[in-house]
Amino acid sequence: MDAVLIIQSLISGIMMGMVYALLGVGFSLTWGVMHVIHISHAAFGLLGAYLAYSMLQYFGVDPVVSAAASAPLLFLVACGVYQLLIRPITRAKEVIVASMILTFGLAIILENVMVLIWNADPRVLTPTYASGALIVGPFYFQYPHLVGFGLSIVGITTIYLFLKKTYTGMAVRAAWQQPEAAQLYGVNLYRISMITFALAVSTAGAGGISLALLNSFEPHSHNLWLIYLFLVVIVGGVGNVIGTVLAGLIIGVITGLSMAFLPYQWVNLVTFGLLMIFLIFRPHGLFRQGV
Amino acid sequence: MLRVDNLTVCYGQMQALRGVSMEVSTGEMVALIGGNGAGKTTLINTISGLVPPAAGSLSWEGRPLNGLTPDRICREGIVQVPEGRKLFPAMTVEENLIMGAYLPTVRKQSQESLRKVYDIFPRLADRRRQLAGSLSGGEQQMAALGRALMARPRLLMLDEPSLGLSPKAAAEIFATIRGLNKEGLSVLLVSQEVLETLAITAHGYVLENGVVALKGPSLELREDPKVKTSYLGL
Ligand SMILES: Nc1ncnc2c1ncn2[C@@H]1O[C@H](COP(=O)(O)OP(=O)(O)OP(=O)(O)O)[C@@H](O)[C@H]1O
Ligand SMILES: [Mg+2]
Repeated sequence: MDAVLIIQSLISGIMMGMVYALLGVGFSLTWGVMHVIHISHAAFGLLGAYLAYSMLQYFGVDPVVSAAASAPLLFLVACGVYQLLIRPITRAKEVIVASMILTFGLAIILENVMVLIWNADPRVLTPTYASGALIVGPFYFQYPHLVGFGLSIVGITTIYLFLKKTYTGMAVRAAWQQPEAAQLYGVNLYRISMITFALAVSTAGAGGISLALLNSFEPHSHNLWLIYLFLVVIVGGVGNVIGTVLAGLIIGVITGLSMAFLPYQWVNLVTFGLLMIFLIFRPHGLFRQGV
Repeated sequence: MLRVDNLTVCYGQMQALRGVSMEVSTGEMVALIGGNGAGKTTLINTISGLVPPAAGSLSWEGRPLNGLTPDRICREGIVQVPEGRKLFPAMTVEENLIMGAYLPTVRKQSQESLRKVYDIFPRLADRRRQLAGSLSGGEQQMAALGRALMARPRLLMLDEPSLGLSPKAAAEIFATIRGLNKEGLSVLLVSQEVLETLAITAHGYVLENGVVALKGPSLELREDPKVKTSYLGL
């Protein structure tokens, strides 16, 4: 096989994987910390991509700026969604199931809203540098891909530092590991749940924008994205940031290589076949749980 | 300073506490003993605000505590070391301690508190970067006690701090608790080590099936025939 092609697709896989990881990390946290499986997570990511699209189209705003600007906006929207929809169901007996059904509905609503506003045509983010590429020897990297990759690294690092270095981030981890003790030392679980949820949604926005820099998207793209979210979280271990990153990279590399060397219709078969085998042998993910 | 009056607590239909009254005065160390399922943990958790009372009242320095959330109770200086330690297993020892000083009121002094805790338990300083889940039982109890001290308690409630520890580790923990009390900290001590507990406390309460069966100075409780047969195996 062609060594250049292998390395090129490995690198594309790594880039793609980092973006999956950014999209997946918030999904993993809401699942781990709140026992909420947030099905509309990817739809919020897609909403971020569409916002960036319009900002670029009408105001010439770079997607990186949109990612930074949409984060606080999505944070506030998510706080509202939490208060209105999520908080009431966290009192349910089967929070996981209730949250899946509820947010599945929310995903459908969001999808229809996006069809209404942006119609169903596929879109691509085309910043001014869209046609440019970095050429290193025989390798070729499109600028938008590099920007999307960089954005996801910054996003993941921010979340990681937030969880490790800030009191609120430590409270998120504490509430996940031992909610009763966290409460005893002053952590307000409702407040922490809201912050976790809102933070996850705002990183989904940045993740969606990163992904939109690598691929085209349309209003139902979130369904496919969601499947990759599950993949990343199941492989990486629920609530585990570093696990999510490694899982994203592994899955990115597998899909990258299979896209390069297999007929297109085999790509998903290989990826999901591997997932099933993986689930049989490591039902709790590759890595010991721990944020 | 802490008064519990006629407290009743229910889990669904089951009454775990029925008309319990008790008191801890400033600087005092009080024992709470009783068999499995007597309601000791329930009482402590109700004081901490984790479990809502069905009837009765709780007050702290004359002000009512009823209806306050656990974070507010902690802010009042009423801090518990929970049964089974309940450390954050995937956080380091130091992160566990820092979480004890989570409330803004004590956060500013956290570095100073940390030094104090490491003074009391030098073993924790050696293991500050180790995950709490990988500590030995005795070290875990030290970390749990240390975490509570980080919250700058004025009343420290300990729920079976010697459970599962070797006699040596248990003796160390008891000695530490005693030392803290000597420095003026009020303590409510729940323990199955009835003899040791009654030896270091001033007053005691015996809970049986959710009611206070006996109370009095610890010295007298130690001589009580009922305590002797039920709890001291004499
Ligand atoms: N969350 C709960 N839900 C339902 N019942 C409970 C709950 N917690 C405790 N109980 C019941 O309440 C009673 C008192 O329990 P509690 O844990 O307060 O006893 P304890 O004195 O601390 O016992 P131990 O010495 O075993 O720790 C028990 O009968 C127990 O089964
Ligand atoms: Mg108990």
